[in-house]
Amino acid sequence: MKHAILSCTGLDKPEGSVAREVAIRSADAIGGAIICPVLLNRAPARYKKELSEGALIVVDGCSTRCATKLASRLGAKVEQRVLVSDAVKASGRPLESTLHLGPNGTALVQTMVDELVRGLNAPATPSEAASAWETPTEYLVVTHDKFEFRIPVVDYLFNENDVWVRVSDAVARVGISDYMQQKLTDISYFEPPKTQAAVDQFGELGSVESAKAVFEIISPVSGTVVGVNPAVIENPALINEDPYGSGWLVEIKLTDLAQDQALLLDGAAYADVVKRKAAEE
Amino acid sequence: MAETTFMGVPREKIPWFPTIDYDKCTSCMECDAFCPHRVFERRDNGTRLVVANPTNCVVFCRACAKTCGPDALSFPNKPEIIALIKQIREEERVK
Repeated sequence: MKHAILSCTGLDKPEGSVAREVAIRSADAIGGAIICPVLLNRAPARYKKELSEGALIVVDGCSTRCATKLASRLGAKVEQRVLVSDAVKASGRPLESTLHLGPNGTALVQTMVDELVRGLNAPATPSEAASAWETPTEYLVVTHDKFEFRIPVVDYLFNENDVWVRVSDAVARVGISDYMQQKLTDISYFEPPKTQAAVDQFGELGSVESAKAVFEIISPVSGTVVGVNPAVIENPALINEDPYGSGWLVEIKLTDLAQDQALLLDGAAYADVVKRKAAEE
Repeated sequence: MAETTFMGVPREKIPWFPTIDYDKCTSCMECDAFCPHRVFERRDNGTRLVVANPTNCVVFCRACAKTCGPDALSFPNKPEIIALIKQIREEERVK
């Protein structure tokens, strides 16, 4: 598949210099086309071909995420996204304050390009236990105004941050509840966590985004990320269509479910939380 | 409206909310525009932002900090807050 790369130009910040360099080198490495955000903003039609033919990679410099917002405003589907300021934090080495790349900036560019290319070549896949995960059939239903929020009766546990977990052997699947997907409305992007990353209970497992909001996925369990749902990355609307089944997000190898369970709710208890939240809105 | 409890603990007993570093804040108001829970309020004719409703903040959510270009928003240490929640729950249980 062809790729197009939309990057922060960030001419006034060191993160911008890194973003620009990551875009140029990634384009070289994967044979992708570069999209100038300034020209895209001014004349979107200029890049119609690149945006329609290729999968879009967005490189943001800082958390203002101008490139992401531009892509979102134009309705462009983003396949992968990287953020320089996050990568700086993860590297533990602060960027030089100059706009020219110093040793730390240069090393960071290389790391980010390597990770980006590796991610494109080897997308994360779920474990082989698919047959054990059937979509639930029995639900509690919380009704509020014209809305109906479904909550599975068995097998699912929840945290109060509207994230569910379902366990099979030592592996758990995680997703967001029907209540939250309805609250977000049409979900357009799932930013997955890194595979093999360790996560604490209530740690972050990436985020999902709609035109309305960004929702941080708060992990109900502790463990190691062993898979993310490729179908949801390809088609985030699956989360809206089937939040407890094919719209699952992450698989986690558990470290201490017994301890995690002390802070989790069963379906009936979570139904009470949903009732309260819906009433407070 | 604020959640009254989180994991059975009164919300006001959980010190989870953003702190603004005014040396870094550029008053761009991106976080205020982003947060649907009205945690922030604009003061001084909209030129300065304050954390006006800290208990409206969703416990463990740090999404507003991710909208902050100058990295001016910080949150408490998560493991410490989890330990506090467990401690309060335990105290309530033995009462």
